[in-house]
Parts: sequence; C-alpha cells; structure tokens
Amino acid sequence: MTQTLDISERVAHLERARAATAAAPARTTTARSGKLETFVITFGIAYAILYTLFERWNWPLFTYHPAVNHLDLFRAPGVPEDGPPMFWYGWVVLSGIAAAVVGTIATAVPKQWLPRATVFFCVLAALWPILYALGLYIDQEASFNAEFLRSVWTPAIPALVGAAAVTYWASPQGAQHIWTGWLLIMPIGGLAILGYSLLTYFTR
Amino acid sequence: MDVLFSVISIQTFWKILLFLHFAVAVALLAAITLQAAAVLLPAPQAAGGPIGPFRPLLSAPSATLIVILYVVQALLGAWVYVKYRTYVRIPMEGLRHWWTVGAFELKEHVVTMGLALLPAYWFFWREPSSGDHATIRKWITVFLAFTVWYSLAVGHVANDFRGVGS
Repeated sequence: MTQTLDISERVAHLERARAATAAAPARTTTARSGKLETFVITFGIAYAILYTLFERWNWPLFTYHPAVNHLDLFRAPGVPEDGPPMFWYGWVVLSGIAAAVVGTIATAVPKQWLPRATVFFCVLAALWPILYALGLYIDQEASFNAEFLRSVWTPAIPALVGAAAVTYWASPQGAQHIWTGWLLIMPIGGLAILGYSLLTYFTR
Repeated sequence: MDVLFSVISIQTFWKILLFLHFAVAVALLAAITLQAAAVLLPAPQAAGGPIGPFRPLLSAPSATLIVILYVVQALLGAWVYVKYRTYVRIPMEGLRHWWTVGAFELKEHVVTMGLALLPAYWFFWREPSSGDHATIRKWITVFLAFTVWYSLAVGHVANDFRGVGS
C-alpha cells in the first residue's frame, strides 16, 4: 500500500514536471501570438490613418516619372517635359514603413494601455479633419474675417483636447471592445475623406 | 527586357500583362466572394436544410491563398498602372471622361486600404472555427470583397476605354 502510494506520488511529480516543461513553450507561443495580434491590428489602423494623411499632404517617399523612367526622392513634380509624375507608389511605401514602425512600437506598449492609446489617436485622426472642414465652412459663411480657420493647424488644439477628453472618459472595457473595430472604422473613414477630395471629378 | 522585346512587341507585352492582371482578378474575385458568402450565410444546420450541403464548398478558399492572390494582383496592378498613367489617363482627360478618371483614382485608395488590412485578415483567419474575433473577421472579409469587386468593375471600364480588345 505504502509502495503504491509512493509510486503514484512519483508519477504525479513526473507529470507535473512534464506539464511545466510543456507549458513554457506554450506560454512563449501565446506571447508571440499576442505580439503578432497587436502588430497586425495596429499596423492596419495606423496604415489607414497615415496613408490618408500622406495622400492629403502629398508626402510621398519618392516620385516616379514613367515617361522618362526616372525616380526622385520625396515629392518632385519635375518639369512638364518629363510627363506626369506618379506619387502613389511613394505614399504606399512610406505608409507601409511608418505603419510597421507604429506596429512595432505598439508591441512594446503594455496591453492594458493599448486600446486607450488607440482611442486617442483614432479620435484625434477623426476630429482633426471634421473640425478643419467645419472651419472652412464657417470661413465661407461668416460675415467676419475668419481667415485663420483656413490653416490646417488651427483645429489641432480643439482636436487634441477632444481626443484627450474622449480617451479620459472611455471605459477600459469599452476601449477594449472597440479596439479591433478601428480596423474597419479608420479605412472607411479614410476612404470617405479621400473620396470627398475627388469630388471635383464627379461634379465637372 | 530587351531580349523579351526582341520576341514580342512592347504593345503585345503590355496586353499580356493586362490580361494576366484580369485573370488573377477573376481568380481573386471568385475566392474572396466565396469566402464572404460563407461568412455572411447563417451558421450550418445540424442536418439537411437548404444551405447545409453547400457549406463545405463555401468555406473552401483559404485566407493564405487570398492574401497571396491579393498581393500578386496589387503588384501586377502597380506595374500596369505605369502604362495607365501615360497611355490611358491622358487621352481619358482629353476626352473629358471625368467619372472614369475619378473612379480610377478612388480605386488606388480602395486597393491600398485593402492591402493595409491583409495582415490582420490573415491573422484572424488562422483559426476560422474560433469564436474570437468572429465579427471583425466577417466584416474585414466583406470589406476586402468590396475592394476586389470595386477594383474589377472600375478596371474593366478603364480597359474598355483603352486596353485589351478595346
């Protein structure tokens, strides 16, 4: 009886040791998967925001001149004889690099802060163009001189304050719940802005 | 490239490339539409029912295959885009086809947003049976299907203006 108990205790000890050995790589895999999840989600959100910004500000990493097969660094409209410049490649590559940097930084941010940080940046990215458009509308309609509203930097402060306020009042559960949702909200919002900028083509 | 152009003309080369772009587009469209339909359809019934027998077929295309097709298609599109910018868009503007020009400009952005979501899409489809991320997985798939449908429609209109068979 004593021997049986002794053997079963040894077996149990062996099993615990085996379980602990198996759990260590499992934990590493889970941690890696968690970092990968953080990276891909942050990359998708950041890319949508950055691409919209770079396109609107016309900040390409390089400019390609297809008629003369020539590549220039950054924005280089070139001379009319060189044909039309192409900026799209430069926006795509620059957004990719910048979003990868943001995604990598996000993997180092503690998991509990990440959804709230995402709320802050996404609300900022949404509020800024909304307030800017509002400023343009006021300047157009107002009887007084509101020229300062035409600056892209004027709505920066109210947008920052608004984003900070929303982040402060957002519950941690709410921020966590909406975190992956930004993956759709930001590309659709970006497309709305970019689509609106093309309106002249459809109204000529 | 010079060796290639000694065998076929430059024009034929671009037409082959454009046709390849179209062929990959059709394959991608089929795969992503099937997957989008699979995620939008109600969950499979225990037995029988009208959608039961088709369900395995609808979940067939893998996310990895779709990602590969999407990237290959985007690269082909980026290559053909060079010709579009110089050979197609300029006469398009000259003939005041503003709707086509505008829709094609938007296509650039739509495809780019789709590309941005590919890593997340692939990640969420690693375990399709898992309940985690089921909602976002569904809607990202639908969004990607929209990007492919929109791009094919607009690309087809541009091709009709000046492309293969036009």
